[in-house]
Amino acid sequence: METISYIVLVPMVYLAAAIFIIGTTVRLIKIFKAPKHPTTLQIFPAKKPAWLWALHDTFLFPTVRRHKPVLWVFLIVFHICLLLLIIGHLELFGEFEVLQIIPHEIFLGKGLVGLLTAISLLYFLFRRFRSPVRDLSVPEDYYLLILLFLIVLFGSQMDWARNWYYYETMSVEDYRTYLGGLITFEPYLPESVTESGHAFMLVLHVFLANLFLIFFPFSQVMHSFLSLPMNKLRRG
Amino acid sequence: MDAKTRDDLLGLFQSKLNEAMHFYLETCTRCGVCTEACHVHASMGQVRYIAAYRHEIIRRLYKKHFKARGKVWPSVGESKELTEMALDELYEAAYSCTGCRRCMMYCPFGIDTQMLMSIAKLLLIGANAEPETLTMLADMSIEKGKSIDIFKEGFINGLKRLEDEVVAKWRQEAGEAVIPVDVEGADLLYVALAGAHSIIPAAAIFNAAGEKWTLSFFEAVNFGAFVGDPTRTKLILDRIVNEALRLKVKEVCICECGTAFRVMKQLSGKHPFTVSSITDVHARYLKEGRIRLDKTKFNVPITYHDPCQIARNGGVIDAPRYILKQLTDDFRELAPEPAYNWCCGGGGGLVALGEDTLDFRMKSSRVKVDQVRGTGATILTTACENCHTQLSNLRDHYKMEVDVTFLSSMVADALVPA
Amino acid sequence: MSDDIKISKTFDLKGLACPMPVVKVSKGIKDVEVGDVIEAISTDPGSLTDIPAWARTTGNEVIKTEQDDKVIRFYIKRNA
Repeated sequence: METISYIVLVPMVYLAAAIFIIGTTVRLIKIFKAPKHPTTLQIFPAKKPAWLWALHDTFLFPTVRRHKPVLWVFLIVFHICLLLLIIGHLELFGEFEVLQIIPHEIFLGKGLVGLLTAISLLYFLFRRFRSPVRDLSVPEDYYLLILLFLIVLFGSQMDWARNWYYYETMSVEDYRTYLGGLITFEPYLPESVTESGHAFMLVLHVFLANLFLIFFPFSQVMHSFLSLPMNKLRRG
Repeated sequence: MDAKTRDDLLGLFQSKLNEAMHFYLETCTRCGVCTEACHVHASMGQVRYIAAYRHEIIRRLYKKHFKARGKVWPSVGESKELTEMALDELYEAAYSCTGCRRCMMYCPFGIDTQMLMSIAKLLLIGANAEPETLTMLADMSIEKGKSIDIFKEGFINGLKRLEDEVVAKWRQEAGEAVIPVDVEGADLLYVALAGAHSIIPAAAIFNAAGEKWTLSFFEAVNFGAFVGDPTRTKLILDRIVNEALRLKVKEVCICECGTAFRVMKQLSGKHPFTVSSITDVHARYLKEGRIRLDKTKFNVPITYHDPCQIARNGGVIDAPRYILKQLTDDFRELAPEPAYNWCCGGGGGLVALGEDTLDFRMKSSRVKVDQVRGTGATILTTACENCHTQLSNLRDHYKMEVDVTFLSSMVADALVPA
Repeated sequence: MSDDIKISKTFDLKGLACPMPVVKVSKGIKDVEVGDVIEAISTDPGSLTDIPAWARTTGNEVIKTEQDDKVIRFYIKRNA
């Protein structure tokens, strides 16, 4: 068990991070180095400035709001929560003064953020069980949603434990020790992280997140990087 | 399909993989927001007509042949080998799509279905499985460009027979050419279609506005674009570009043909002349007071069908509305926003395929008929030959109580001395 | 009317929308035997360039073109 924990929490994290960073970078460079399309691909009427509207389209999903309002609510909730979770994870690496302009506890929302993310993911998953989205979906879409759901579930459990059940054994400091070790390439696993009752959650969380990062550069999740340039094309 | 054929076809596929195409192939999350976008799906209901479903037919081949995933874990994206059967699917997807790009109004990323379908169309050409009528028409256009000198004489004689009809709409000053051809130093080169209906009203309006114009020897429509053949598209386009350069015109005006306008406007590159649609030009004449229209000529409710390639994809949206305000006090919009107008159902070469596609065109455009009926208008006007043919077919098939007209014809019929 | 040409089939292309005249002729000519002649009647000046250009690319032959005040008549021999 200890060996498995170690493999998941140390070498596999390095492997996943490397595949994620190198894979994404190489793929993006390849895509952006391909020749530009010779003509405009925009839709009219044009609104100026195009780049501002492209940002608007990328981050506010106006077409979804117009045509699928319920999906839009979940999409917005999901993506905002995702942003908050990313910030939360960054703060597990260390203090960021910029992020503490509004003073807050590490991981905002007292566990609610994770809950909302999990609910949104279930919504995205269940809507794929019904036609016509079912007919459009490919296995990748289900795998990614299930994977994300499990990642969020196990990740949030740790947050919920601290917030809702006053489970103090695994503290922010412990995580900082673990993650700090990883980024300085001096991996160190505190006992509280590997031995406590909730350690299996961390191992599962990290294991699934590793899988996600490994698959990321080759999957539709690349929309996180490509959405803006695509929306720019549509805006002209 | 033997290995050599497959490699050749994959080479064609590769040639289409520019930056935008990579975006479109990598990004779709199959969220289904585009479900209601396609008029074919809205009219017929089958899943295979949803934009994302059409995309996926191309994307499966891409995943198989251009991504490592296709070898390592093919099932995760349902990737698919390029086979004869895949070609049938490509045909079905590409030639049931009119390239109207209405789905781009739905997609959160703005995936361009017409672009993805252009891969399908090119592969079909490579496999000699494209609609041969379209290639035949494209070759005809190219041949015309090569040997125009042989046909010139007959064409000029043919124009003479139209002069009386032009003069009937607008009396010309004595000594001025009614339909000028091959005039070096003219301000405007008008590129029409083969039909007299595309020349007569336009000529009357140019003459009424006192335009220094000249008629092109070539027809505007680009069959190369319909069949999705970049080489032929360019050859057909170049005929007109070369004529415009030779005559040193300042402006090339494209007749009421959506494809012709979009290809000329967006694909022809930078030149010393500007490209405008005839609708733009007519609106300009009205604004400048060079022509005037009789508002009492058509005393009925009028609606306007925005041709996809001219409005949503070409940007000519205000000009037709400006013209219509001079023609009627009872103009009725078809769609709340022009960009959401339903396609007529005839684009992408479907109308050019004539009776072969008639049944599909009628079934796939039921929503268009409902939209037109909803306005209560009795004149349905448009500014595209393709749309006009398709809308006329719809009128006959669904027994709609509307006259289908060309906007330019209405302008010509309502001309009064300025 | 050309009396010396034996016409197997006549096509009325008057007032057809683009690109139907050529499509009709191109499809219709397949209904007659190789060597037979069809007649196509049009009112559109564009057909004066379309039909001959089409014939050249498809290997058929426009053997005669007649114009009067009202219509244009093409006599096309099926060679291919």
